[in-house]
Amino acid sequence: MGSMKILIVDDDTDITDSLKAILEDQRFSVATAADRAEGMEKFKTESPDLVILDVMMATWRDGFEMAREIKSDPESREVPILMLTGVKDKSGIDFKSTAGDPTWLPVDGFLDKPVDAEVLIAEVEKLLARA
Amino acid sequence: MEPLPQNARLVRRAYWLIRIRWIAITGVILATFVASRILHISVNQIALYCVAAVLTVYNSVFLILLNRAVKPNGERVFSAVHRIVSVQISLDLILLTVLVHFSGGVENPFMVYFVFHMVIASILLPAWESYLQATLAVCLVVFLVLLEHHGVIHHYCLEGLLPKCIIGDKRLIAVMVSVFTTTLFMIVYMTSSISVQLRNQEEAYWQANIQLKQKDKVKDEYVSRVTHDIKGHLAAIQSCLEVVINRTLGPLNERQSDFVGRAQHRTKILATFVRTLLRLTQMRLSDKLEVHEFSLKEAIADAVSSAEARAQSKSIVLTTAIGPSVDRIVGNKFSIEEVIVNILLNAIKYTPEKGAVEISAVDKGDCVQIEVKDTGIGIPADEIPRVFDEFFRGAKARKTERDGTGLGLSIAKQIVERHNGRIWVESTQGKGSTFKLTLPKTPRHC
Repeated sequence: MGSMKILIVDDDTDITDSLKAILEDQRFSVATAADRAEGMEKFKTESPDLVILDVMMATWRDGFEMAREIKSDPESREVPILMLTGVKDKSGIDFKSTAGDPTWLPVDGFLDKPVDAEVLIAEVEKLLARA
Repeated sequence: MEPLPQNARLVRRAYWLIRIRWIAITGVILATFVASRILHISVNQIALYCVAAVLTVYNSVFLILLNRAVKPNGERVFSAVHRIVSVQISLDLILLTVLVHFSGGVENPFMVYFVFHMVIASILLPAWESYLQATLAVCLVVFLVLLEHHGVIHHYCLEGLLPKCIIGDKRLIAVMVSVFTTTLFMIVYMTSSISVQLRNQEEAYWQANIQLKQKDKVKDEYVSRVTHDIKGHLAAIQSCLEVVINRTLGPLNERQSDFVGRAQHRTKILATFVRTLLRLTQMRLSDKLEVHEFSLKEAIADAVSSAEARAQSKSIVLTTAIGPSVDRIVGNKFSIEEVIVNILLNAIKYTPEKGAVEISAVDKGDCVQIEVKDTGIGIPADEIPRVFDEFFRGAKARKTERDGTGLGLSIAKQIVERHNGRIWVESTQGKGSTFKLTLPKTPRHC
């Protein structure tokens, strides 16, 4: 698993840097981006094996939209997305996995912020193994 | 926006006036019957029954008009109700004059009944309109007396009740009409001044209440913004601490590890507090509650399974007893499950090891009653009224569990009340507490 590449997209650099440190310690190669535009650019240049995406960036739709963009492209739809969120537990929104639904959120897993290192590693490994 | 208090009252009173008139109609019929058939007083029975019939017709018409005016909610509607009330009082005065004419004119003791209309007018209408109604009443009576006195219309002498007719006695009827006039105007003056004062006070309270609500909203928005920002920073702090705790960047000695551990623990408590406060504030700020039909039985089962691990860690027996007919209700499943988990975790928190916590749900017709009973430390009687207050933590509760936020039960109360339900607690110190809540099966019932 060591050679796998992970892209972390979050506007909080303290979060991206700490997650990066934890994941690099597990010998993952990590790229980071601070917003949706940079995220999409790095997604194309770095071709990550997994994306960790914050649901709330500049606007709270940014994470949503980026996940949809990745999952609607046949070339990139196989890349697993792990969503970091405090939203699910706060709003009770029941995210749907079908395209077209207003709450369609095509992600492969959720993690509550702040993330416990062990939980993060376990979840990342699970998703990579599945992919 | 809710209607002005005087408008709301006007509508209530308009219906009340119609109800009173039904009683008055019955009274007219009964009084006519008793006067003519039992007391053998000479009144014009047919005319009086006809007046009762006219009253019945126009009371029905006004009821229909009122129902039409009240349905939609807007400023124009209240002006319509106002007009209806005003016209009703004037018509009442005319009919009362007709009634008095056919039952003895100025000699009829029921002349006093004009007073009632003056009181009602003074309470419901602006002062100048009440004076106008009083003037109308006086004009009607003076007109009636003059016509009867000069023989233009027949005067029904109350033979059988009065020793003699006084309609021919100029001085006496002048005195009676004067007393009548001053009485009406005095009553309008007194009642209006009192009711205007009350109306002003009521409006001042109403305005103050609106201002308080607005201020409360501003406070909630402020708290929401602040806590939201704090939450973001806390998540970053926790994330950074996690790197150190996890020894990602190298080993820590025992003392370093101890202090970073403490920092992490305190940050976690603060994060929980901030998250709870944010949830409570956002709930208070949002006006609507998304509801759908769901199985309460399943929600309880889910809540129990989320609390199970905590119960097991304290060797507490957690039992469930759900009534056979308890199932589908309309509400927000996520919030209701949160309430139940909250109360269950609370019960477990304040119950000593090897204790018992039982959750039960009973079908009560329009609503469901849920109870969570524990064998915990209980709540002192003087703390019971405050347990649902924001930030309140009982003295004993604080000793037992240092890290509570004092917000869990406030959230529970907020959610239950949003569902038009009720939550309360019964407790005996040292023996345990029972938290009870009722939830309507559909949003409006219970």
